Amino acid sequence: MSLFSKFDAAAALESTLSSMPVNPTSIVISKVVSASEAIVNGRTTIMAGTNNYLGLTFDADCIAAGQAALAETGTGTTGSRMANGTYKEHLQLEDELAVFFDLPHAMVFSTGYSANLGILTALLDTDDSVLLDSEGHASLYDGCRMSGAKIYRFKHNDPEGLAKRLSRLGEKAKDALIVVEGLYSVRGDCAPLKEFVDVKTQYGGMLLVDEAHSLGLYGENGRGLVEEYDLMNDVDFIVGTFSKSLGSIGGFCVSKHPQLKLVRYASRPYIFTASPSPSVIATTREALKKVQQGQGLREKVWRNAKHLHEAFVELELDIGPTVSPVIGVSFQDREKAFSCWQDLLSLGIYTNLILPPAAPDGGSLIRCSVTAAHSETQVDSIISAFKKVCKERNVGRLN
Amino acid sequence: MDKNVVVEKLIKLLEGSLGKPLVLSKDSTLLGDAGLESIQVIEYLCEVEDAFDVVVDEESLSHVSTFGDLASVVERISSE
Repeated sequence: MSLFSKFDAAAALESTLSSMPVNPTSIVISKVVSASEAIVNGRTTIMAGTNNYLGLTFDADCIAAGQAALAETGTGTTGSRMANGTYKEHLQLEDELAVFFDLPHAMVFSTGYSANLGILTALLDTDDSVLLDSEGHASLYDGCRMSGAKIYRFKHNDPEGLAKRLSRLGEKAKDALIVVEGLYSVRGDCAPLKEFVDVKTQYGGMLLVDEAHSLGLYGENGRGLVEEYDLMNDVDFIVGTFSKSLGSIGGFCVSKHPQLKLVRYASRPYIFTASPSPSVIATTREALKKVQQGQGLREKVWRNAKHLHEAFVELELDIGPTVSPVIGVSFQDREKAFSCWQDLLSLGIYTNLILPPAAPDGGSLIRCSVTAAHSETQVDSIISAFKKVCKERNVGRLN
Repeated sequence: MDKNVVVEKLIKLLEGSLGKPLVLSKDSTLLGDAGLESIQVIEYLCEVEDAFDVVVDEESLSHVSTFGDLASVVERISSE
């Protein structure tokens, strides 16, 4: 068997996708017009499938901070945080994250993916047990796998299922790590964090919450779902990314545990990679300030989210009950999902098409997201396009 | 518990969760013959754990392809 024979399945997938009139994995943005619009396939398109929740990618202060950092500090650090890659700005961002979360310890990683890999592989080893939500992000799963710990999956958002598994683990439960997310990125549903904390309190163990998609959106200060539910003292680790609400790239972990500082010496994904570029750190720091002062941005994104959710309920689309800036529209029929997605694109609305096996329930999904950068008119355009497509394709109420 | 009995129970569980009768045996595969997507396998395995009151780690499942394989894992963990 050749090295490349393992790509047979990938080749078949590529062939299937390439045979589609528009390959959903090969969308090219030829020009970014604004935080909510881009040129796709030659036409101006409303971007309703991003993670730019607060619309900060074109914030003038963030851009100015990035440009200044490029001019003053150069294009890259060229080294690891453990060697020549720690600039004072990296430490300033870590201090600012600690203040933002009102937690004593913070650590910055080069990406959100490497934050999860870096924390999980440092916290866990082959003697440990980790309980992971069945719809946890790939980076959480990969981190758990790389650590060599025993992985136990429990049903998505099911505290009772978690409790059963911890109960069956017996004595091991008190040293286990529980891993969940805040807002889930595909269906836009939220973790029942209070109930998970109750289970943790009953059985022991530690709780890690990935707030990648909830940072900036939930809580009085925008810290995320943990703050929204007033659980800042009950969660052991919060991880997240700069590449969504903060509009840049990078990842972080904050914690009440002083051992977080020792993770720097034990985390290979942290040690063996170049640190974030100065311009990235600068835009992230500026964006974090915007989140702190971001009540207006949050009000806007939530207004848009409620407006879109109400319209989708009216259309009787197959969506979850949670109102959030992310709405996953489920389809049992993969071809219909693809046709609708393609029609939306041709009407100038970009959404995310999620096909099996990536969709949570094994079906197909169109993921639609709104941001603070979308105007009311743009949200209305998204709704009008969905109405038209649903009518033509016999979906929902218009079936 | 007899392995065939475990296999039978595993298949009945899947029939219950899919809401339809299935023609499967111990040699049927979860992904191919039963037609499950990988994410559905995870959900199904959670039901298996609850039905047999066991907790199965991912490593133990790494070589599971058929219902017979899964029955062997459930039997082993049940007896530990």
